[in-house]
This record gives sequence, C-alpha cells and structure tokens, in this order.
Amino acid sequence: MKRILVIDDAATVRLYHRGILESAGFEVSEAVNGLEALERLAEGPFDLYLVDINMPKLDGYGFLRELRAKDMPQAPAIMVSTEAEDNDQRRAYASGANLYLVKPAKPAQLLAHVLTLLGARHSA
Amino acid sequence: MGLKKSQDMPTTSQDERRLPRDLAGLLTALADTDPLARRWAARDLAQHPDAASALVERLSVESEPSVTQVILTSLTLIGDETAVAGLSECLRSEDAMLRNAAIEAMKQLPEEVAPWMGRLLEDPNPDVRIFAVDVLESLRHPQVEEWLIRVITQDAHVNVCATAVDLLGEVGSERAQPALLALKQRFADEPYIQFAADLALKRIAAD
Repeated sequence: MKRILVIDDAATVRLYHRGILESAGFEVSEAVNGLEALERLAEGPFDLYLVDINMPKLDGYGFLRELRAKDMPQAPAIMVSTEAEDNDQRRAYASGANLYLVKPAKPAQLLAHVLTLLGARHSA
Repeated sequence: MGLKKSQDMPTTSQDERRLPRDLAGLLTALADTDPLARRWAARDLAQHPDAASALVERLSVESEPSVTQVILTSLTLIGDETAVAGLSECLRSEDAMLRNAAIEAMKQLPEEVAPWMGRLLEDPNPDVRIFAVDVLESLRHPQVEEWLIRVITQDAHVNVCATAVDLLGEVGSERAQPALLALKQRFADEPYIQFAADLALKRIAAD
C-alpha cells in the first residue's frame, strides 16, 4: 500500500485530505508543520508528500528544500496552497515541488493528480 | 501599558552592551553592523515606548532572524498603536518566518489588536484576511466568534471562509449554526467547505 504524508497546520484540512486519500486505498500519515514532517521521515520512506505552504516553525518551501537535499530516495510532492500567485508557484517548483494545487482541492482533482504522479505503481 | 509590561524584561550585564543605553544610544545601536549590538538594542528599547516606530522601521530591513525575533518581542511588550500597526503590516510580508512570528505576537495582544481586527478582516488582500483569521486562533477576546461569523457570512473568498470555518469548529457556539448553514448554501459546489462546515456543526452540536 502506498504511503502519503499530509503536511498541514490546519487539522480540518488534514482530515479532509486523509478522507480522500484513504478512500482511494492509500495509507496516510500526518504532520502539523515542516519540522514535524522532517521528523516523520525517520519512520521510513513515503511515496508522496502533500504539502501546505504556510505553516509555523517550518513552512512548505523550507520542508521541500530540506527534503530534496537529503540523501534518500525521493518521492513526488504536491504543494497545496491558498495562494494562486505565479510567484508562489515558481517558489514551490524551485523548492522541489512536482505539482502546485490551489486550495481547496476537489477530491477527484486531487486523486487524479496523486495517481498521475504515482504512475501505474499504485495498487489500491 | 508598555511601561508596566517592560518591567518583566530581563537585565543583562553592561559589558555586553558597548553603546550608551539611553534612547538615542539604543536607536544608534539598532542600526549597528553587529547583529549582537542590534539584538541588545532591540531588547532594551522595549523600555522606551517612544521607540515603537524605530523598531517597526528596523523590522522592514532587518536580515538577522534573531534580531527580528527580539524586535517583535519588544513591540509586543510596548503594545501601543504604533507597535500593533507595525505587527499588522507584517501580515503582508513574503517572509513566512516574519509573518508567523508577527501572528504569534499579535495573539498576545487581544485588547490592543481588537480595534484593528475589523480593518484586517476587510483588507483587499485575501492573504491578509486569512492571516488575520489565523491571529484569531488563540486571541483571547470575547469578539472572536462574532468576527468569525461575520467572515463566513460576508467574505467572498473561499479560502478566507475555509480558514474561518476551521476555527469556528473549535471556538464556535450555537450562535454560529445559522451562519454555517448559510455558508454551505453559498459554497454549495465546494466540497471542502461542505466538509469543514459539517464538521464544525457536528462539533458545536456535541458541545
């Protein structure tokens, strides 16, 4: 089963994303900010990261930069944010995001992107 | 108020501070090339309410995070109109660290921030409105629920409403129920709003 780490400081958003992903057969872990997400990496590799931008302690950009600098198997990351500005998208991709989605993501849209990024390897 | 709070500031040995400690000396030190000198100046300026505007000005150019943090602490301790205006302005910053620190600082000033909240929640920039809602998260003020209800009733931006509805699920009472139901109608095509509003309604009903 593919493992996805949902990183967002808003509990309701984490719950929403968890529901969508679990209903599609993914195993979901959560982190409330980038710093906690980095600690979660010790639990073993994740297959995909769903990352908010604005979070206390370490934001989504910072998390992705730290993640991409690590000597470990890299997985795709979707950055989700309330900010639709081009500049935010550029920063997201520069930090290591594979995709940028503007919140609130619709379930079908989110799942379609997750499945595309995971390719045919997902066996939900 | 600033003077009363400044009594809590820790004292330090003079040899760590090489410039005069009067207001003029501290303002000079605040622009020193040495971050340590700037940090001490920022800390000591908390005892000078007149320094709020200089601290706010320094905030916009300060590049050393540890100095920025001390400036924010001093502005919180001063807590006057100039300080709160400076903190509010940080909500527009692209610097997430500064923005988050300002949000945390503002949460500690409920009475001082309250007069600004109406304006912040009506700011033309939706990001500023979202960050203003973030300030409400642990702002101990009796108007928090009323502000949140106003946001979900009036704000046209889905993400501002989404942020507010998340918080209403935690702090809302039966008073919020009609507004939450109306929000569901207003954003009938937004699954996240449906999810978050239903969750908030469930939590409120359970209380």
